[in-house]
Amino acid sequence: MGAAGARHAVSDLRAWQIATVHQLRHYGRSYRFLGLVGAVAFVSALTLAFQLDAGVSAVRIAQLDSPSEYLSNFLDYTGLWVVLAAAFFAGDALSVDFSTGAGYYMLVLPFRRPILLAGRYAAAAAVTMAVVGVYYLFGTAGAVYFFGGSGIPWTDLGLSLALAALFALAALSVAFCVSAFFRSPAAGVLVTLLTLYVGFTVLESVVELAGVEPWFSLAYAGGAMAAILDTDFVHLQVIPLGEDQTYTVWSATVSEAVAIMLAYTAVFLPLSGYLYQRKESTG
Amino acid sequence: MSSGSIAADRVTKAYGEAPPSVLDLSFQYEGAGAIGFLGPNGAGKTTTLKLLVGLLRPTRGSVRLNGFDPVRDRRRALWDVGALVETPEPYPTLRVHEALDLVGRARGLGTADIDREIDRTHLLLHLPPLDRRVGSLSKGQRQRVVLAAALLGDPPVLLLDEPTSGLDPAERVLVRDVLRRLKRDHLILMSSHQMVEVSEVCDRLLFLDRGRRVLEDDAHAVAERFGAGRVEVEFAAAVDRGRLAPVADLVVEATALSATRWRLRFDPRGLARERLLSACQSVAPVVEFAPGALALEDAYLEVVPTASEST
Repeated sequence: MGAAGARHAVSDLRAWQIATVHQLRHYGRSYRFLGLVGAVAFVSALTLAFQLDAGVSAVRIAQLDSPSEYLSNFLDYTGLWVVLAAAFFAGDALSVDFSTGAGYYMLVLPFRRPILLAGRYAAAAAVTMAVVGVYYLFGTAGAVYFFGGSGIPWTDLGLSLALAALFALAALSVAFCVSAFFRSPAAGVLVTLLTLYVGFTVLESVVELAGVEPWFSLAYAGGAMAAILDTDFVHLQVIPLGEDQTYTVWSATVSEAVAIMLAYTAVFLPLSGYLYQRKESTG
Repeated sequence: MSSGSIAADRVTKAYGEAPPSVLDLSFQYEGAGAIGFLGPNGAGKTTTLKLLVGLLRPTRGSVRLNGFDPVRDRRRALWDVGALVETPEPYPTLRVHEALDLVGRARGLGTADIDREIDRTHLLLHLPPLDRRVGSLSKGQRQRVVLAAALLGDPPVLLLDEPTSGLDPAERVLVRDVLRRLKRDHLILMSSHQMVEVSEVCDRLLFLDRGRRVLEDDAHAVAERFGAGRVEVEFAAAVDRGRLAPVADLVVEATALSATRWRLRFDPRGLARERLLSACQSVAPVVEFAPGALALEDAYLEVVPTASEST
């Protein structure tokens, strides 16, 4: 009765492409994506509106007459947007297969699970970078408006964006791992947010108070995204608090940040794959 | 066409200390035909199907789809398999065409073939408009879409868990008709609570209870064995109770199922079915004379303990 045409073997690469496109279609139309892009555009536009209201000269003075300083300050919240995107797009990326009927549709296809995960990871990275891209576009537009196009530090801006991409990959890896642990999508999203934003930040502050460099913190590494554009960047700053007391603040160097981000990706992404592979549809 | 095979070798699935959901279950089916899994809720039907497609790992024993382990070699095991397990939900943001397109590509079809296949299943199952978002479909429409996904690319092996669940009576008839045609050259393993569906579609039956096989036989043999004393007769023309006078003395009870279909109950110790058939033929030409779904219901009730006995 069937009249299917010729079927061709589907390589892992082809399967990855299919899974990525499928996931991108889903993410691209989701309220989460549209909402996040809308939020980043709204907040960025509002920031620019306040700056425009203050006037060009006031902004130039406040930013030390440096487009690099302006960009560094404007893009200081890149980490927050990446973490939000990671939580929304990856916090339930794997648990969705075991908590809804999505898995009964996807997991009966002749795809290896790690390939399916890789497709979702690529799609999540793409939409996360789309959100970050909008943020950088607003920042760059502001820098060009207030300082002129000639003074923009394009190389450092590109490096900052590259660091943001690495940070996104690391944050997504952690989020995928969280989503492989939890059955509830909401729990995965919440735990990802709490871990990446609150957990790391609190931990970082605590160990800094104890005089230890938070080299293990992803949030610490994320600071390099804006710091690379900072004109007065210092790796180590000792702040006197009173007699015989100091508070040491560390800022990750680019090489440190890259190493930390790569380490997170290298540990958590394969771990997600392992957990996803082992997970059963018991519901 | 079918060269598919489905096999389980002493497979057991247990969760912690609870009694196993499936216990030492073995079977092997090859070629074409339809096998029905029957049993009460919790009998292990869906668990067995999940084990077959690799959604669960066996605690002991093994399963093979087309000769391959669905957990270790899922790509080859599932390559020639269309599966509908539990309630599949394509992403609600996708259009029907996109949800089916994914499956076509996963099964190695090119764009033109996918479109042809989608058109074919669209006609076969009366799918909703292809540009509708999956999230906006009714339960029945979505069930037809996921059934179409299972059939896309014409895989020789079909694993179907309650395939008509959520469908209205007309849609059920439609799906049963499709499955009856498919089983000629496909290997279908389906679970169902619908005895009519099973009796119309399946050639072989496997009754499960608490994870164990309690009966397995050809559907016809089961019907013969448990249907003694009951028969469903389809006449070529409408027959009212008055016209049934020639059989009135032979039967204990006659129930009209439709204008042309009657269910007759008789005492099998004192009456041969052949004599009843002759009497029916004197009423009107007989199109069908078979134990029907009721026999399976009898079989089910006899071999599977009632809920109170099970617990």
